[in-house]
Amino acid sequence: MSGRAARQLLVPGILVGAIIVIALIVPLLPLPDPIRMEVSARLLPPSAMHPLGQDEYGRDVLSRVLWGARTSLVVASLAAASAAIAGTLLGLLGGYFRGFVELLTVRSAEIILCFPPILLALLVVTLAGPGAGTLVIALSFLYLPGFVRVCFAETLAVRTLDYVTAQEALGAHPGRILMRTILPNVAPSLLVQLSLTVASALVLESGLSFLGLGVVPPAPSWGLMIRGARSTMEQAPWLLLWPCLALAGAVIALNLLCDRLRDVFDPRTRSLGWLARATIALLPRSAPPAEKPSLMQVAGLTVELDTPTGTVPLVRDISLTLAPGETLAIVGESGSGKTLTALALLGLLPPSVRLTGGVLLFRARGGRVQDLARLSEPELRRLQGDEIAMVFQDAGSSLNPVHRVGKQVAEAIRAHRPAAWSAAMARAVSLLREVGLPDAEQRVRSFPHELSGGQRQRVMIAAAVANNPRLLIADEPTTALDVTIQAQVLALFATLKTRAEGLGLIFVTHNLAVVSEIAERICVMYAGEIVEEGMAGEVLSQPRHPYTAALIASVPEGGGRLVAIPGGVPLPSALPHGCSFAPRCPRASAECSAAPPPLARIAAGRASRCIKWRELT
Amino acid sequence: MLAYAIRRVCIAAVLVWIIATLVFLAIRLVPGDPAELLLSQGGIAPDPASVAELRDKLGLDVPILQQYVSYLTGLLHGNLGASLLDDHPVAAEIALRLPRTLELIAAAALLAIAFGLPAGTLAALRAGGAADRVLSGTAGIALSIPVFVVGTIAILVFAQKLRWVPAGGYVPLGRDPLQHFLVLAMPAGTIALGLAAVIFRMTRSSVLEVLGRDYVRAARARGIAPARIVLHHVLRNALIPVVTVVGLHLGSLLGGTVLVEYVFNWPGLSGYLVRAVEQRDYPEVTGIVLVISILFVLLNLLVDLLYAVLDPRVRHA
Repeated sequence: MSGRAARQLLVPGILVGAIIVIALIVPLLPLPDPIRMEVSARLLPPSAMHPLGQDEYGRDVLSRVLWGARTSLVVASLAAASAAIAGTLLGLLGGYFRGFVELLTVRSAEIILCFPPILLALLVVTLAGPGAGTLVIALSFLYLPGFVRVCFAETLAVRTLDYVTAQEALGAHPGRILMRTILPNVAPSLLVQLSLTVASALVLESGLSFLGLGVVPPAPSWGLMIRGARSTMEQAPWLLLWPCLALAGAVIALNLLCDRLRDVFDPRTRSLGWLARATIALLPRSAPPAEKPSLMQVAGLTVELDTPTGTVPLVRDISLTLAPGETLAIVGESGSGKTLTALALLGLLPPSVRLTGGVLLFRARGGRVQDLARLSEPELRRLQGDEIAMVFQDAGSSLNPVHRVGKQVAEAIRAHRPAAWSAAMARAVSLLREVGLPDAEQRVRSFPHELSGGQRQRVMIAAAVANNPRLLIADEPTTALDVTIQAQVLALFATLKTRAEGLGLIFVTHNLAVVSEIAERICVMYAGEIVEEGMAGEVLSQPRHPYTAALIASVPEGGGRLVAIPGGVPLPSALPHGCSFAPRCPRASAECSAAPPPLARIAAGRASRCIKWRELT
Repeated sequence: MLAYAIRRVCIAAVLVWIIATLVFLAIRLVPGDPAELLLSQGGIAPDPASVAELRDKLGLDVPILQQYVSYLTGLLHGNLGASLLDDHPVAAEIALRLPRTLELIAAAALLAIAFGLPAGTLAALRAGGAADRVLSGTAGIALSIPVFVVGTIAILVFAQKLRWVPAGGYVPLGRDPLQHFLVLAMPAGTIALGLAAVIFRMTRSSVLEVLGRDYVRAARARGIAPARIVLHHVLRNALIPVVTVVGLHLGSLLGGTVLVEYVFNWPGLSGYLVRAVEQRDYPEVTGIVLVISILFVLLNLLVDLLYAVLDPRVRHA
């Protein structure tokens, strides 16, 4: 357990520990008898002898509160413990053997869940009469299914793991596997369930005692004390306060412990402290660059990740230009920063990742040039989806599952044009027909899950081109699709380009085969930098960077030998000194690691970040 | 959708039958003579004559299958038996009190949703901020304090000290509508507090999760206004798990109703139930338990159907 986890558990651990210690040692404390009555001292306010006062029978309230902790905790823990033992056993057996055993154990325990909990307890009380013993029995029944379910689910998950299968194959006895292998793995969830149950049992026990159907008077119990104080709350409201505080405090402490235990054992549920704002950093106004772009010009784009220990650069000093009607492919392995570059252009970086430098000039329809990095959120929003649109990698998760696809396309139109829903829907149908969705009139009423992967991607594309954008950014739009569908979607992009004159396309992909089909120019990215750029044909036939060459060699084409690139992209937090590709490069020498190589202009529109580009043929 | 609804209704019907059977079996499966058990008080053996009389009253002397058949036919005709003490029909008393319990639950649920949903959404949109911390802390405490404590303290503060509302009781809507809602406010508010905390927590974590989904980013990429994204894309999806969790908490909601009705002297099913348990009037207890459990099943059915309305993927499952 880490230090952080230990710190998180410290406060609730101490609180719960203190309550347990009090419950254990209360008989040893020099307290007045909690059930000795003194009718003449009825409802006396706090005094030196009785620091919390005396109740309606003159009994000492402090003593009753502390003894009450003992009663409540004993009932709650006994009930929780017996439910835990029986429930764990049933859950383990059901989860391990499945089939008929599951029916006997798990499913039959779940019948209890048909009843609201307190009613079942009351049914038991009617039959057996009130009392602490009845309470323990009733509560253990109630909490049994909770343990059975948790243990069953965890057992199912654990038993398919390799090491359990291996033990079975080695002929280990099921009992041994259950106790030695599965139980320790299930234990954390059971611990959380146990503390949840104790808290819940405490509430239910005091509730039943409050109704007069739980612990029998004159035994001290918090629920009974509240019941008693209720009748005298006009004269002695403080009598109500002490047991209420004790009960609420104990439950708060236990619940806090549960929450923290869950955080420690299951970090996924820990709440994330981030905002869902568009995180476009407000960069200082910079001097406008000399040349105005015909469509888009990016200079010095830098994206950094905020970490507790400082910022880590993810994308460094990217410069791109794009003319109307041109297609630029950004190519690289996963982790090269190509997707972040694309997201940064549209101001869609995830939280905690920030644009920290660069000028993103974009020429809008009217001819006005704006710097996307320095627009306010509403200004940027007017461009998003209207002049600049984006198609994402996974159409399955990028379409909202609860809305019909036609509505999602129409919504994109209505975000930028005042149009009635009916008009927007009609336009959506024709758009869907244009992107080749079969049976578009019917399919507008489909939900995303009713469409195939290729059809969903067509819907995404339809929504992206709905407002005739000037720039379309496609982030791996074919990666999640089957090969045959990939070809169709690529063909669709080609059609779109011919149909919409002047549409600039930025195509982000790791697939060089795709690039050769669609792109006029290529930008190869590695470890957050551009390592090579140039016209597609030239770069693919005559790479001037070893990384590009290696990428080309790893494409299965023409029956040649497939060469994988050894190693992986370096972590942004641990970039090598000098050339970041050097550790994986077959041509690397000492000078490669000496200093970070600059992006060398090697011909018109052609650049390479390799100092040995002349040696590459 | 229709097929899904029919299947859920059938499952609910089977559950009701299982519950009825369990309630029937509960008394007959306990070890020993149930009549003796019901009459025994603190370990003193009851008088054999009264045991025989009770056995006769409960119909325990006929064969069990015959008892079961007459019990089920009775149920189908709305006959829940009669009180052991005064032979008053249980069904009549329940018919009188059930609407009041339902009103309390509905008012509490409305209040809880009205506060929990917006607060949870706000906390998620401003996660980590001051509003989030205050709301989350409050919800954590609200979740931990037992309803009867909240109710009792509320009476002390609002009825006895401030004298804003009556301490409890019931005024029929027809007699005095204003007074009716004034009396309803405290018990409904008490139940709503814990439920609102549950809804708040679930909404907050669910909205946080949905905010990170790809389709929210895609909606932003289309330039859709933030308010529309939150309402139509985030909340619409975030509600699905919220509905599930509320469904899981229905049991404790109904349990809380029992205690709250008792605290505020609300003449619903609970006061009747508590008195019946105190007097160990078995037919009365089983009748009320049966009715509340069926209510529980019906509310769960409602949640299941709502779930299908919210999530189109469920309708085909």
